[in-house]
Amino acid sequence: MPVISAALTRQGGMPPAEELQRRLLAGETLLADTADHLLEVVGVLESYGEVLDAYSINLIYQAEQQFLNPLPIFKYLDGDLSPAKIWRHLLHDRINFEYAEYCMKAMLWHGTGGMDAYLDSAPFMERCEAIIQRKRRADPLLALLHPLFPAFLPELIRTAATTHALGQFWRVMSDLFIDLAAAWRDGRVASISAVVEFVKQGLVAAAAAPITYAVVIGADTFWVLPPEAGLTFLVDVAVPYVEAVFLRGMPFLGTVSFNAQAQQISPDQGQFAYGALYADPLPSMGAGIPPSLLMQDMYRHLPDGLHQWYQQRTRGEGDVRVKICASFQKAMFCVTNGAINGTMPHPLGTEDPAAQAANQAYAASWATRLAAARTDCLTAESAALA
Amino acid sequence: MSPPLPLPIQLVWLIPLYGFGGMVVALPWASGSLKRNGQRPAAYLNLLLTLVAVLHGSWVSLEVWRRGAQHLSFDWFSAADLHLQIGFDLSLTNLAALELVTLMSLFAQFFALGYLDKEWSLARFYALVGFFEGALSGLVLSSNLLMSYFLLEMLTLSTYLLVGFWYAQPLVVTAARDAFLTKRVGDILLLMGVVALSAWAGSMEFTDLYRWSADAEASGLLSPLAGTLLGLGLIAGPMGKCAQFPMHLWLDEAMEGPNPASILRNSVVVTAGALVLFKVMPLLRLAPLAITVLLVVGTISAIAGALVALAQVDLKRAFSYSTTSYLGLVFIALALGQPGIALLLLLSHGFAKALLFMSVGSVIATTNCQDLTELGGLGTRMPATTVAYLVAAAGLVGLLPLGCYWCFGLGVQALWAQSPFFAGVILLTNLLTAINLTRVYRAVFLGSAKPKTKRAPEVNWLMALPMVSLTVLVLLTPLLMAKIDPVPGIGAFPLPVAIAVALSGLTGVVIGSQVGFDQFWSRSIQQPLRGLQDLLAFDFYTERIYKATIVAFVAGLARFTNGLDRQGVNGLVNGIGRLSLQSSENLKLNVSGQLQSYLLTVVISLVLLLTSLNWLLGAGAQG
Amino acid sequence: MTIPGLMTIPWLSLLLLIPFLGTLALLLWPGEPSPGRLRTITIALLSAQLAASLALLLVFDPAIPGLQLQEVHPWLPGLGLNYQLGVDGLSLPLVLINAGLTLVSAVCSRDFSKRPRIYFSMLLLISGAVNGAFLADNLLLFFLFYELELIPLWLLISIWGGSERAYAATKFLIFTAVSGMLILGAFLGLALFTGSVDFSPTAVTSERLAMGSQVVLLVVLLVGFGIKLPLVPFHTWLPDAHTQASTPVSVLLAGVLLKLGTYGILRFGMGLFPEAWALLSPGLAIWAAISVVYASLAAIAQTDMKRMVAYSSVGHMGYVLLAGAAGTPVALLGAEFQMVSHGLISALLFLLVGTVYRKTGTRDLDVLRGLLNPERGLPFTGTLMILGVMASAGLPGMAGFISEFLVFRGSIQAYPLATLLCMVGSGLTAVYFLLLVNRTFFGRLAVTPATAEPVQDSRLDVQLAPVAPRETVPALALALGVVVLGLFPAVLGHLSEATTTAMAPLANLLAMAPTGGIG
Repeated sequence: MPVISAALTRQGGMPPAEELQRRLLAGETLLADTADHLLEVVGVLESYGEVLDAYSINLIYQAEQQFLNPLPIFKYLDGDLSPAKIWRHLLHDRINFEYAEYCMKAMLWHGTGGMDAYLDSAPFMERCEAIIQRKRRADPLLALLHPLFPAFLPELIRTAATTHALGQFWRVMSDLFIDLAAAWRDGRVASISAVVEFVKQGLVAAAAAPITYAVVIGADTFWVLPPEAGLTFLVDVAVPYVEAVFLRGMPFLGTVSFNAQAQQISPDQGQFAYGALYADPLPSMGAGIPPSLLMQDMYRHLPDGLHQWYQQRTRGEGDVRVKICASFQKAMFCVTNGAINGTMPHPLGTEDPAAQAANQAYAASWATRLAAARTDCLTAESAALA
Repeated sequence: MSPPLPLPIQLVWLIPLYGFGGMVVALPWASGSLKRNGQRPAAYLNLLLTLVAVLHGSWVSLEVWRRGAQHLSFDWFSAADLHLQIGFDLSLTNLAALELVTLMSLFAQFFALGYLDKEWSLARFYALVGFFEGALSGLVLSSNLLMSYFLLEMLTLSTYLLVGFWYAQPLVVTAARDAFLTKRVGDILLLMGVVALSAWAGSMEFTDLYRWSADAEASGLLSPLAGTLLGLGLIAGPMGKCAQFPMHLWLDEAMEGPNPASILRNSVVVTAGALVLFKVMPLLRLAPLAITVLLVVGTISAIAGALVALAQVDLKRAFSYSTTSYLGLVFIALALGQPGIALLLLLSHGFAKALLFMSVGSVIATTNCQDLTELGGLGTRMPATTVAYLVAAAGLVGLLPLGCYWCFGLGVQALWAQSPFFAGVILLTNLLTAINLTRVYRAVFLGSAKPKTKRAPEVNWLMALPMVSLTVLVLLTPLLMAKIDPVPGIGAFPLPVAIAVALSGLTGVVIGSQVGFDQFWSRSIQQPLRGLQDLLAFDFYTERIYKATIVAFVAGLARFTNGLDRQGVNGLVNGIGRLSLQSSENLKLNVSGQLQSYLLTVVISLVLLLTSLNWLLGAGAQG
Repeated sequence: MTIPGLMTIPWLSLLLLIPFLGTLALLLWPGEPSPGRLRTITIALLSAQLAASLALLLVFDPAIPGLQLQEVHPWLPGLGLNYQLGVDGLSLPLVLINAGLTLVSAVCSRDFSKRPRIYFSMLLLISGAVNGAFLADNLLLFFLFYELELIPLWLLISIWGGSERAYAATKFLIFTAVSGMLILGAFLGLALFTGSVDFSPTAVTSERLAMGSQVVLLVVLLVGFGIKLPLVPFHTWLPDAHTQASTPVSVLLAGVLLKLGTYGILRFGMGLFPEAWALLSPGLAIWAAISVVYASLAAIAQTDMKRMVAYSSVGHMGYVLLAGAAGTPVALLGAEFQMVSHGLISALLFLLVGTVYRKTGTRDLDVLRGLLNPERGLPFTGTLMILGVMASAGLPGMAGFISEFLVFRGSIQAYPLATLLCMVGSGLTAVYFLLLVNRTFFGRLAVTPATAEPVQDSRLDVQLAPVAPRETVPALALALGVVVLGLFPAVLGHLSEATTTAMAPLANLLAMAPTGGIG
């Protein structure tokens, strides 16, 4: 057996759950606080912020303007039907909005949190019925299909609602990440712990923002997610999003067999660990790896500083999108870190034993889930190679 | 000399090139040389080229309809007594098959735009589908055996690459390998037949071969053994391509590949394989045994395939085994001299099975799941998918007057007098297929929603549109069949036969709707039943049997040879070599020492050699 | 088509002069030229040689079956050694392959750390010697060139080889020296027995000899060339030589030098001893089949990519012997195709294996995984590798298919069993090469022993140097050649058909004649 030179391979250290829990409770960041990490995280979040801006605009456009359109051929054009835009679209010189839809589908399919519960409630079904009755008047196809397939249109309306809600969520996150980059340039943010704190503050500030959604049919406006449903940013959208996209995810066709007899996929979606924090960056841009689309989008919006930093490492431009994925994973650990800190039941400095116990239990539950994730990217050394 | 052929016919050789051209135009994106933009233009260009192929094919069909069948050939390579040609046989049968191929390719590619919307490596996928389509469309038009073989092998290669599309997925690695090797076994046997025929008959054109085989039969030119071996070789290729027992395993594993490719594989690839069999059938008059083998293989495939399908819990596999089963019926029809019925069955099966796989693809795309035990309750929420499934199922089962109903009616009618056993096989297959389709329908579309089907919106328009279009086509299949087969007409069977077919289908539906799901997928405690369930669920343990026999045999032989080579042959050589080891040590020293002196040694030895030669010859001349 | 003036140039001598003078020039180049400079000069010289070889196509008349463009100068007439050159449809494609592949091997020579001057001059020397062997129209002259190629190749293995290079080089030297002695013995024996001192093959006829002597001489000659070919059981030097040789040397060895064996067997074995050949050919067909199947089976069990490709070479050269045994026009044309396509395909495979080795440091099939990875792996190398192995397995559309088809088609009537066995060997080629591609290129990218636990595996980060586009140019050119020859075989058939057809009846007619000979 030939010996492989040590320089070719690297095995990351995996901190145990206890260590992660300790860091969370001690107020340390999960990600090692180094200059390289700061550059990676802020840079990749800036490009992510720009991409999310486009995603958010498009999702909201789709939910509002392409509502129940059976042939939404131009749904990615945001209403701009100029030949130049169509031509660029044909050349695929564009953002991959398919990835935004993919995240939306993940949220819808995993169905956790308050919004999902509302989508199954009687008030929602009443609103659906009203919308469908109005829509049937103008659309004979729907008029025919609805009696035959009564659950068909409500399911599409749920999809539209999730699309809109994700658009609203990403609107906030996009602004937050772009502000973060500005703050970093101003020198207001100069460490990983400052990044985590910035994200936490942003999330806390937006936590109670209402999530609402209305469609206009003809001249009538219908609420799909009305204000009285009381859906809010953090618990009803952000938390389900983290659950569906960061943690659970959906199995990739390119790495997991869907063969029922092989039983590679758990029947319980709660056990899924295909999310961003668990993903293996190495196969990025390979076949059957959906996040490749996001990596490509971020690649097209990469800030110069980070781009140069990548060019000096490993294959330079050749494997830049794998490096983006690795940095993105680190950034997502920071965002998760901020979210955990922001949702900690009690302040970390509390003296009350009961509050401490609650904090410990909360941190422990997160640490257990994160221990199986790609925590090998958290070490300071990981920046040298990634 | 007849007047010159119209341009579309003269340019018919372009039709396979559209597909291959699709591969070429996708290369800039597939190779990653356009880094900033996405890969969709490759998909659009391939769709465009396939559309051109469909239109060109239709135009040629129209011309041929008007003028009658045409034959075109071009020289490819000649040497001595060997003349190899590229030949196109433009008969209506072949052109109907071409329409099926190009149309299905178009639908599948459009469907893939939606199914693979989150896929990055689109260009490679479309390049491979283009390659696939090119090989298929050449194959169905081919008028000679060598070209058919040539394209069949290309098909094997493209199947390997398409199944291996998600190359990083562990099961794909073995699936692609097995698909290639299984087909390759059939291909090598077919090559043996092709080479032998080429040597014996000279020409490779099917028409010449038919003439030669008639002569050979009349004159007893060929020994019965040679004839039989030839026949077995010729049917081996189609057997592999059509996934017939015992070469069916690859189709199961090939379900690891992307669904749009599965659509093509289960409809047109098997059809192309059966068309090759259709074309070599007249040659089998030299090999009565081959006919018997076809019947046996067809019967086993038809019934065992349908039974194995019943025991599958995987959505895709439940229907891939059904493909094996239907192709078994095609084999039976061909072997019993009913090519017309075989072709009609291929056509109606091709359309309906493609639609079925589209519906399956929709379910998988929406639920991320192909496990029947985890699906349920989709019927009220996914109209296009549900209707597609129902229409495809109706098209496959002989119950409602769609495609396969008429085929089964004709088949039962034709075979009843000839050999009633095979009429029974058709009815039994129909019954078993009806059970399977009904139980899958119940599992997927009826019942209450399960966790993975709780949120199941209908698929996006890119998938829905081709699915709905194909649904309409499947509904229209009987009209198409009537057009292709005006005499004696697709309804040329008496009422008792019609009732028998409908009754077998109805019985299947009733059984399928009554039997508890437990009996399909929970293992029974009673031993004989449990054994039977496992036997079917694991496909008669074919994979394990292969592993224990052929694979073990070849691997063992390889290890033995390698051992022999290292220990035996090489050991012997080294033993002799050891005698000169000392001198080699010296040489080594010299190498690291003075090289120039070495060249001097060479020159000196050459001079010495020449001198000794001179002496030797001089001595020889004197003596 | 004749261009005035072109015919007056001594083309064949030019094909020897360029590399030989180049060798001298490199050796005597004043000062200490940098390795890059030496490489550039070598590439320029080899490009000139390729151009001159291609220019032959302009003056070569494919309709003439025999030797043409002959050049005869007496040298040592007492010995029967004359400077006698000629080219025909059998040798011309091989001369082209030699020029092309030597150029490829010079282009892909990147490791200059040791003795670049000797290295590049040896490359040129080999190329010249091989040209000489293919063009020689004199048995002794052939032998001289045949021996001349041996020394530089031995040096190339023993100086620039792997860790076991001394063993492999010595083995190579001993085997090929024995091969040379046997060949020389057969030639001299022929001269002694016939009492002729003219070593021009056209003048030498074995028909005056007793059949027993003919058979003995032919067997000696067959073993001599069989070692070079190589045929089982004389093949064991080849896998060792390949595994120790550097990539450019492997390209030369597999692509060009093995062809000396097949060329020798067809030109001299079949050409000089038609009667004995006819007598022995059933045995040769069986020998070929055994060689093919044995090598293919041994290849399946290999875990070193290079060893696997080396065994595959042994198997593929066996087809040439089968074709020679059958001796029909189609089979002999197939043999020519097989020589050319094996030259292209094996060179391509060795180049690609070399790339994998250079980037990963290993060729072990149990260690490499997932190299198709688009960003961090070797996707382009993988794509070409799939093309190369498919060509080698005889997939249509590539050079391997038409070659094998012609060989099998030409041989099946004469030797059905041996032909069918060889086809089984062709099927086995698919088995081992598919294992190679699937193991190394599919799966998740990893450079790790297969025994490592899967959890560790998925967390392994692999850092391989990228393959620069210019590094892929030689492989791309070869791949293109493989596809072009596969789709348009007439390109080659046109050059060789007259010669191979003319060679055929010789064996065929004699096969019909009663055996026993005249003497």
